[in-house]
Amino acid sequence: MDKANREAFLNNIATHAKRPRHQLANHPFKPLNNLPESTLSGKTQDQLLAIARHSSEEVHVDFRTTAKENLAAAINDYLQHKNIQHLILPTTDLWQKFSLADWQNQRSTEHTAYWEPRADRQTNVQRAQNADGAIGFADFLLAESGTIAVATVPGQGRAFHFLPTHYLSIIPKSRIVPRSRQAMLYYEQKIKSGELTTSNINLITGPSNSGDIEMVLVVGVHGPLDMTYMVVEDL
Amino acid sequence: MATLSTSNEPFLTRIKESEADKFMQKSVAKAQDAQWEKRPASRKELGHWEDWRNLGEQIRQHVIKYLPDYLEEFSDNVEKRGGHVFFAQTDKDAVAYIKKIAQQKQAHKIVKSKSMVTTEINLDKELLKLPDTSVLETDLAEFILEEDNWDEPTHIVFPTLHKNRDQIRKIFQKLGYKGSNEPGEMAKFARHYLRRSFLEADLGITGCNFAIADQGMINLVTNEGNADLTMAIPDTQVVVMGMERIVPSLKEAEVMDNMLSRSAVGQKLTSYCTFAGPQTADESDGPKDFYVVILDNGRSKALGTDFEPALQCIRCGSCLNVCPVYRHIGGHGYGSIYPGPIGAVLSPILGGYEKFKDLPFACSLNAACTDTCPVKIPLHKLLIKHREVMMDKMKIDHSFNNVLMKGAGVATATPIVFNIALKGGYLGSAPLAKKSKTSVDNFFHYGHIEWAPSLAKGWTDVRSLPRPAKGSENFRSWYKKHQAAKQAQAKEEHDNG
Repeated sequence: MDKANREAFLNNIATHAKRPRHQLANHPFKPLNNLPESTLSGKTQDQLLAIARHSSEEVHVDFRTTAKENLAAAINDYLQHKNIQHLILPTTDLWQKFSLADWQNQRSTEHTAYWEPRADRQTNVQRAQNADGAIGFADFLLAESGTIAVATVPGQGRAFHFLPTHYLSIIPKSRIVPRSRQAMLYYEQKIKSGELTTSNINLITGPSNSGDIEMVLVVGVHGPLDMTYMVVEDL
Repeated sequence: MATLSTSNEPFLTRIKESEADKFMQKSVAKAQDAQWEKRPASRKELGHWEDWRNLGEQIRQHVIKYLPDYLEEFSDNVEKRGGHVFFAQTDKDAVAYIKKIAQQKQAHKIVKSKSMVTTEINLDKELLKLPDTSVLETDLAEFILEEDNWDEPTHIVFPTLHKNRDQIRKIFQKLGYKGSNEPGEMAKFARHYLRRSFLEADLGITGCNFAIADQGMINLVTNEGNADLTMAIPDTQVVVMGMERIVPSLKEAEVMDNMLSRSAVGQKLTSYCTFAGPQTADESDGPKDFYVVILDNGRSKALGTDFEPALQCIRCGSCLNVCPVYRHIGGHGYGSIYPGPIGAVLSPILGGYEKFKDLPFACSLNAACTDTCPVKIPLHKLLIKHREVMMDKMKIDHSFNNVLMKGAGVATATPIVFNIALKGGYLGSAPLAKKSKTSVDNFFHYGHIEWAPSLAKGWTDVRSLPRPAKGSENFRSWYKKHQAAKQAQAKEEHDNG
């Protein structure tokens, strides 16, 4: 960055505003209310699940729940229902956590690709482009809006969520939170502590859509044509 | 033509053209009516909307107050992430810098996601001047406008509101489309057409809804997914942002995203709210090279003035969706890429009074825009302020207005003149008056005037003028009779004990 370019620009702003620079340290932002935190607070996980289901279905999400031991069968049902032939999966140790290692091993390598941490851009992007389905893991499900929150990591990149035709997101029931505020507090804290290194956080609310032609809602434009949330009862 | 401006025609010509476009008028009315229900419903569902507005206003006012400090913090954090920041005083500075990047990177295939500020600086057409370079708008609406010989947008959120499905089908047919005029089928065609371009692109250009000062990330709020592909696939990303589009942290970005989504389209959140910066070392996609261009281009002229609140704007477009003037003349009538009430406030600040002097008068001062604004910009008051500035500071001749107002003052203060005017209005308007059956569009009992000369012509050019009531049936007469009847009734009740 050209410091002189920046200084001239910022000084110009200060001059027009008739306010001196470097006052922020003594005047940090203090919100006048706590609505972002208090809205939908105090709900049980079952209540949040009900809210999440309602919100998700409002935005055309196929919302499913399953017990952990039935997860593999539920995924197979989904793949059959959507007639998905080529699947892309993330590289993550969450497969073990969700007891899906056997399911993974049984997948035919011909029809299954992985987003690989060590692969180059072209390889991973092309794999996502060739896939007609993706199964990803979300960090959170936001009950209020039916939104999955997911940070980009080496094993699950950005285009992973956007190029495949169909998308299934797996979310533990314990990770349903009231709103976007709780997700943002988590990411802030994890980034600050160095536990999370990421260049990208996605809040994804249902399939892509547009009303650009005569305000008629078209579901499925550039991103996935449909979205399925699979909430796993893990409590 | 100035880049902010969408037409060289005079204001009245633009209005006449807009009036003639009946499809546009119907589309705008339909859009407004749809949002009329969706927007308040989504706000009501959230609850405590006025308190949310207060918070939104506080966040925006705070960052504008400490803007240099937040921009400094943001630019430092972008650099810590490995990105680059350029501060552009003018549109020319911004365009020259971005062209230089495109040349250095030998970028020939450029994809863009929707961004008002890049339209403001005329970036697409400037980049197309580079040899062997293609620039493709990937938002469905912007793609339609581009393929229709770079037609101008008509709405901040719904840029193609003025086009019908048959017109869009014809535009797509030039690209090889053979399907019907059904929106879903046309959207699928655009998906396949544009997907190839994403995969081949070497430079992606986006706008920025909010820059996150303490993270060095940008935040985009979209519905289609094209912005995320623009930020995922090409090696290089250029972000162009108005200098005021900044928030302190992810927390305030999250608040603004919620308010923006509900205000713009009546959704709790749009399909994609993304917070992004340059790729980290272990990631395989996302921009390896990340450039942010922070643009002034006249915005600083609002700072420290009565117009500073205009910089609070989050481009939700809700003021357009409640405005009766916008409903009548659509976006093109304003002649600015920023139409509607916020456009009428912002365009004279950015582009000057000479070019946009008519816009502050394109307002009925009903204040619906001020009431709906999620960040509480006093839009109608700023429009009055513009009028004051033009009248006083710019020495616009207002002697005619002074004479007119003085005459009105004398007439209303002199009972005999006032009574003659009241009684004469009905008779005097007889040659011009028409009477048709009372309906929703015409409930003028005494008839209406479709054409009037002189000063009243400005009114009758766009709507009928009600004919004044008969002297014996006007409000004053009615009130007198009403009072007399009330007194008689009171007397009767008193006499009857």
